[in-house]
Amino acid sequence: MNSLLTSAVAGLSAGGAYAILGVCAIFTYRLVAVVNFTGAAIGATGTFVMVALYESGVPLALAVPVGIVAGALAALAVGLVMATWFSGAAASTKAAVTAALLVGIIAVGLRLTGGQHPHNFPDLIPGSAFRLAGVEVTWAAVVTIAISVLFTFITEQFLARTQTGLELRALSQRPMAAELIGIRVKLLALSVWAVMGAVTAFALMVIAPQRAPDFMSLSLLVVPALAAALIGAFASFRAALAGGMAIGIIEGLASGLDTFSQYRGAIPFLVILAVLMWSQRGARFDEAR
Amino acid sequence: MKHASLKAALRTALTLGILAVLIYAFLPKYWIFLVTAIFITGIALQSLGLVTGRTGMISLCQMSFAGVGAWVTGYLNVAEAPGGLILWIVLGGLAAVPVGVVIGLPALRLRGINLAIVTLGFAAAFDTVLATITFPGQTAFIQVVRPSWFESDGGYFALVMIVYVAIAVALEFVNRSRLGASWLAVRHSERAAAAHGVSVPMAKLSAFAISAFISGVSGGLLAGYLGTLVAENFNMMQSLALFAVASMVGAHFTLGAVAGGAMITLFPELLRRLGLPQDIGNVFFAVGAVQAMSTGETISETWVRLGSKLASRFRRKPAAVAEPEVKTARPLGTPAVHQPGVALEVSGLTVRYGNVLALDKVSLKVPSRTVVGLIGPNGAGKSTTVDAIAGFLPRYEGSVSLNGGPLEGLLATERARLGVRRTWQTTRIAPELTVGDYIRLAAPGIRPAEIEAVLEWFDCPVPEAAIASVDAGSRRLIDVAGVVAARPPVLLLDEPAAGQSYAEALKLGDRIASIPEVFGSAVLLIEHDMDLVRKACSDITVFDFGRVIANGAPQTVLSSPIVQKAYMGVELEEQVA
Repeated sequence: MNSLLTSAVAGLSAGGAYAILGVCAIFTYRLVAVVNFTGAAIGATGTFVMVALYESGVPLALAVPVGIVAGALAALAVGLVMATWFSGAAASTKAAVTAALLVGIIAVGLRLTGGQHPHNFPDLIPGSAFRLAGVEVTWAAVVTIAISVLFTFITEQFLARTQTGLELRALSQRPMAAELIGIRVKLLALSVWAVMGAVTAFALMVIAPQRAPDFMSLSLLVVPALAAALIGAFASFRAALAGGMAIGIIEGLASGLDTFSQYRGAIPFLVILAVLMWSQRGARFDEAR
Repeated sequence: MKHASLKAALRTALTLGILAVLIYAFLPKYWIFLVTAIFITGIALQSLGLVTGRTGMISLCQMSFAGVGAWVTGYLNVAEAPGGLILWIVLGGLAAVPVGVVIGLPALRLRGINLAIVTLGFAAAFDTVLATITFPGQTAFIQVVRPSWFESDGGYFALVMIVYVAIAVALEFVNRSRLGASWLAVRHSERAAAAHGVSVPMAKLSAFAISAFISGVSGGLLAGYLGTLVAENFNMMQSLALFAVASMVGAHFTLGAVAGGAMITLFPELLRRLGLPQDIGNVFFAVGAVQAMSTGETISETWVRLGSKLASRFRRKPAAVAEPEVKTARPLGTPAVHQPGVALEVSGLTVRYGNVLALDKVSLKVPSRTVVGLIGPNGAGKSTTVDAIAGFLPRYEGSVSLNGGPLEGLLATERARLGVRRTWQTTRIAPELTVGDYIRLAAPGIRPAEIEAVLEWFDCPVPEAAIASVDAGSRRLIDVAGVVAARPPVLLLDEPAAGQSYAEALKLGDRIASIPEVFGSAVLLIEHDMDLVRKACSDITVFDFGRVIANGAPQTVLSSPIVQKAYMGVELEEQVA
């Protein structure tokens, strides 16, 4: 029993990261209407900029902010492509475009970071915060969970209560109409992308030391991220938050069981399948057409 | 139209056959080996073209299906199963089918984005599983045994070409069949496809199943080609790159699949010779895919467009001006015989959208072999009535019955198959179809002569014309021609004359008036053009704010004060005064 708890707690920091990524995925979908397959790759870009600086002797206090800015810039680049050529495109076309972009970003990323060549990832937030039923809970886990909760809360409040939040909601639903009533559509959309990039970059920096630290593995964290977003039906930040945590904990549990540990990479898929089968049971036709 | 498929299939087979002979005769051995890989990848691309290009469902796990096929082939090889490689490859393809169907299940309800996530998730999961169980024979270096006829590299090239041609020819037939048309229809509009009695789940699942089979076959061929396989041959990046290339070249075209295969195979070779890192290829594919999606035109389509432009420049005379044909009316066949009495009966129909009461206990009857008009101002609930009758509303109160049999509990597809057919206010015909394809989709089993006759009767373009080249007004007529050609007991026409000129509308009115007599169907006609309504209808029901306000013969109803006020905006006082 105790060993199960240990494994579950071990999944906490991953769960926190999935939650942040999932909330970011909904953030992008709700505000700029893009299901973004490049989210984790954008975060990985920022993370590797930070690592490159760190490895060349730059102190962490400088490397981390620069990495976060790099993440924001990478997101801006993707956002620019989407806002310039695909602002009026169908949702599935936009998703297909980001899937294609993912191929390119991973190729460039692997080339620049030396493929599977191991990197020295600093533990941004080392040490253990407290013991829960005899199990160490790391600061990394506490911080990722705190960020994910905070980000969810701030986003919800921002969208519900501020003028800019209102404009953003208008933008995501009817970009053309929003533009016609004088909302600066492109500027707003690009800010959304930049915020998403910065947050994802920081989240990946925190959990990178616990993952297979190559560019591709980090980029493919988009799978659990989108699974979490699906749990929130691409609408509810809170459900995505809970979903991301749950996926992390289930993965942790699975790696604690010998028979399943090798197959834990399959867990997000099973979650996706289950969630979809359940949530779509009543739907009959695609919207609008 | 079997004739056209046969011609296209023969042309494909012949072109590929000549290409294969030329390659075999003139290229050095190393290049034959490379070209073999082009066509194996081309098969995988064809499978992706079917599910993504034709049916419009994003699949990011196509190489995982190939991996299933390859794994089964490798397993049968290690187990020394009887039958040899060719049978193993077929079994590998079949093994991928149930996997494809399971992945396709979430697509039954919703498409596009969710499916992209499911397939990417599957690719990730398959990577994990494959890395753990490894390929059969991988660690012991057991080579997959090729059949003795196809053992050499040249021989194996021949085998791959035979399989490629077989698949391309089969797809040529399937794509021109009603199944193929239903894939395009589903991609364009699921509702419109369901209104033609196409089962949307069947269309999607069949696309996934066939696609998984073809992909599985390509995996099996790759196993025989390389001898031993590693998990990396089928990982997620391969699937994603395949998707990018398919989006760029248009893998649902024969030309596109070959061109895409060539790019995936030859680009790394080119980069290697230039001394550049080979993974740059993926960057190129990503940029190409984004470019293609931003213009909405794949490379194959661009080539075909430029090619036909060039060809028309070299042609001496412009295409001969069509002789004004002496029209001899073709026989339309005898009208369908449906049950007499009341064909369609709606009683107590109530529909709510949230707090809005769209329809309030509406009743109407359409006797068999008559045209009944349904008129009323915008927002009166006319189209809502059609949606309810045809089964496109999730819930309504009251009852709808066809020839006395209740339709409650039946889905749109089932209602359409029973014979409640509808058209839409805006045309929803997939532009990739030809006019003839569309009529065949709308009226299954119709004879070619009858297609021509019906099209002629409605003054529509010829069956060979592409929908994309037809103007919007004619598309509306084709819409009507399609459902009429099916000769169902009940037709629901939603503003068929919108977008037509006055003269055309009157002519259409004449045609609609004689639908019952010529085709045997009863018609419920929604229309704003009062002259058309007067001409076509024997009976009129008027709606206002979701209620029936009048009902009866056209002249009486249209002159009644309450209708004049509601619909024509004529004030009662003036009439009273």
